[in-house]
Amino acid sequence: MKALWIALSNLRRMFRARANIFFVFVFPMLLILVLGATFGGSASPRLGVVSVRSGPLGAALVHQLQHTPQLRVVAVATPAALLTGVERGNYEAGIVIPPGYDGAIRAGRTAVVRYLARPDQTSQQLGETVRGAVARQAALLGAARFAVAEQSAPSFAAGLSRAGRVVAAVPAVTVTQTSAGTAVFSRTLGQFDEGAWTELLLFLFLIALTGAVALIETRRIGVARRMLATPTSPGTVIAGETLGRVLIACVQALVIILGSALLFGVRWGQPAGVAAVVILYALVGAGAGTLVGTLFRNEQQAAGISLLLGLGLGALGGCMVPLEVFPPTMKRIAHITPQAWGNDAFDKLVGHGAAITGILPQLGVLALYAAVLLGLAAWRLRRVLVS
Amino acid sequence: MRATLLICAKDLKARLRDRSALLIGIVVPLGLALIFNSIFSGIGGNSKAIALGVVNADTGVASRQFVTGVLQAVGRSGLIAIHREPSLRRARALAAGGTLDAVIIIPAGFSARVQSQRPASMQVIGNIDDPISAEVARSIAEGYAADLNRVRLSVATVAAGAPGALPPPARLRALAARAAAAAAPVAVADVSAKSKELDQKSFFAAGMAVFFLFFTVQFGVTSLLEERNDGTMARLLAAPIRRGSILAGKLLTSFMLGLISMFVLVVATTLLFGASWGNPLGVTVLVVSAILAATAIMALIATLAKNAEQAGNWQSIVAVVLGLFGGTFFPVSQAPGILSRLTFIAPQAWFLRGLGDLRGGSLSVIWVPALAMLAFAAVAGAIAMLRLRHLAEV
Repeated sequence: MKALWIALSNLRRMFRARANIFFVFVFPMLLILVLGATFGGSASPRLGVVSVRSGPLGAALVHQLQHTPQLRVVAVATPAALLTGVERGNYEAGIVIPPGYDGAIRAGRTAVVRYLARPDQTSQQLGETVRGAVARQAALLGAARFAVAEQSAPSFAAGLSRAGRVVAAVPAVTVTQTSAGTAVFSRTLGQFDEGAWTELLLFLFLIALTGAVALIETRRIGVARRMLATPTSPGTVIAGETLGRVLIACVQALVIILGSALLFGVRWGQPAGVAAVVILYALVGAGAGTLVGTLFRNEQQAAGISLLLGLGLGALGGCMVPLEVFPPTMKRIAHITPQAWGNDAFDKLVGHGAAITGILPQLGVLALYAAVLLGLAAWRLRRVLVS
Repeated sequence: MRATLLICAKDLKARLRDRSALLIGIVVPLGLALIFNSIFSGIGGNSKAIALGVVNADTGVASRQFVTGVLQAVGRSGLIAIHREPSLRRARALAAGGTLDAVIIIPAGFSARVQSQRPASMQVIGNIDDPISAEVARSIAEGYAADLNRVRLSVATVAAGAPGALPPPARLRALAARAAAAAAPVAVADVSAKSKELDQKSFFAAGMAVFFLFFTVQFGVTSLLEERNDGTMARLLAAPIRRGSILAGKLLTSFMLGLISMFVLVVATTLLFGASWGNPLGVTVLVVSAILAATAIMALIATLAKNAEQAGNWQSIVAVVLGLFGGTFFPVSQAPGILSRLTFIAPQAWFLRGLGDLRGGSLSVIWVPALAMLAFAAVAGAIAMLRLRHLAEV
């Protein structure tokens, strides 16, 4: 009971400082928003297209590009703006369909479409996609032009309309496409979903680690000494301090989960599964925070180490770049962090619709982390408090 | 002047001694840049050739033309790495496992069907997690198919123009040969654009440096509030020092802390993991502008706060929000829509834009970003100056 009061007073101390409210709740939500707006949604490369006074055939080429899978066409006003956009990475590549494109083709000349690409592979590879779309349009145009050259059609327009009529009857050479393998990336994730759970894991741990700073403060300003002067056993104080960190993490998780669901429509998956992950992860964080708090005496040093540790483990554990794109060896190394197991669990819950029974291995590992870290933290804290 | 320098020197000494400025100004940003760089260095998405498997079960002309002509030409450009696979089963397994990104399959009898004007088909199998590579493979095959279709369609269009029965086979063959030789109506000319993006290493180095810069400069300005708290402000004011000298000393401390931090970070990231910051003169102009903007903004916030703790909290919040929107964690300027413009409310975005442009252009490109940051410094600095004087009171 006493432990609970200690925990609640920790909670009060945390949220009495208004700035903490920002860092615990508001900032993670802002990150989820900006991250989702920047990277969420379609991963297809963006192709900037300038098509000014290029005529009906120019519009037809744009249409052809718009219907090319895995390509997002963005209209750009001028070639100069397109060049800047490509150079700065706003578009992966760009094409300029020149003014008079339509006229040049109808007059029998070769129209030149300019393809702007950066030196990197993605930008260059996209050129093949653009060439494919151009070749598809050129089949019809080439046939019309050939009919004129063979004096079979009186004009390009006549040839084009005749080619359009016969195209369906001509046996075609086609390309069919299928895919192989089982999807690692979920296809059903919403724009903010993955960003939401990775930021949740990043910030739960980060804020739990700053518990180290609070713990040092508790010792420095004498709260710990005064608690021990009352008839309270060190065990109760330790339990209370740790429970306080768990409580803070749970409140934080609840606000972020509900807030992001309401504001950005983030889906979190089966509530029982989410609750299990969050509670075990909060225990891991509380253990880590308390342990770090016993290893340092200086609040500023502890804050610096917490920042490095929280962001570093977060980066390694897939909270900044998803684990799916890690190379195999790196992925194995990543799984020394609790973040990686949390990410795996959420990927299963949200991305693949798993229930709590589907994430038992991940929960088991998190429970193991929690047990080891809390054990170490309690042992260290007893030594620090009693000495 | 002497008093200003003395105050600055005293503050710098104090800050270096208590290590907190060292931690925030150098150790943490350098540590994070190192950590991010070592974790993410193997994950660059822009650097790999597409591993393209080719299963050619056909022995004819058309398939040979595609494999040795079209595909190898693309292969020579380094965009795809071609792997000839003997069997469909093996190729599919490799694509499923992700060893191959995509596979193009040419079935037996493909060339014969192409030659005899029957429907013919190639197949593309893509790894399910790499739809973009699969699309590139499909586009290459489609491009070749479209060329074959152009010849067929050309012949059919001409044939449909002649009234009566189908032309004799010899004439059809002659038409096809002429159609195949005809110039394409649309050509694609490659224009190479420079890259004005920072590479990953330099981005982490620059992003972390400018993010923490907004924290480092706080130590100078906020100490005005601390002096007032500790009662040393009264003593400073009692001494024969002009009030302006005290303020200037504190601002100079901020500037010097920022300068030391940025200098060490630029040199250390360059030496430790090869970050490339660009033309030294350009970098110096951008760094100095960024320090002035950071100092002015943080000074302004300090003047709005009641005490050192409140100032510290508000400054941290502003620094973090500007850092996020300014794209110090990830390139917000590449976001679609409004966010790509909103990012420029943060001086950090101008700093990173300046470094990026510097990489792709001449020295003259840095003036816009530098002036933008100086504008932040001027506006925030002017308001701060109006309000700062009351800080130097007891």
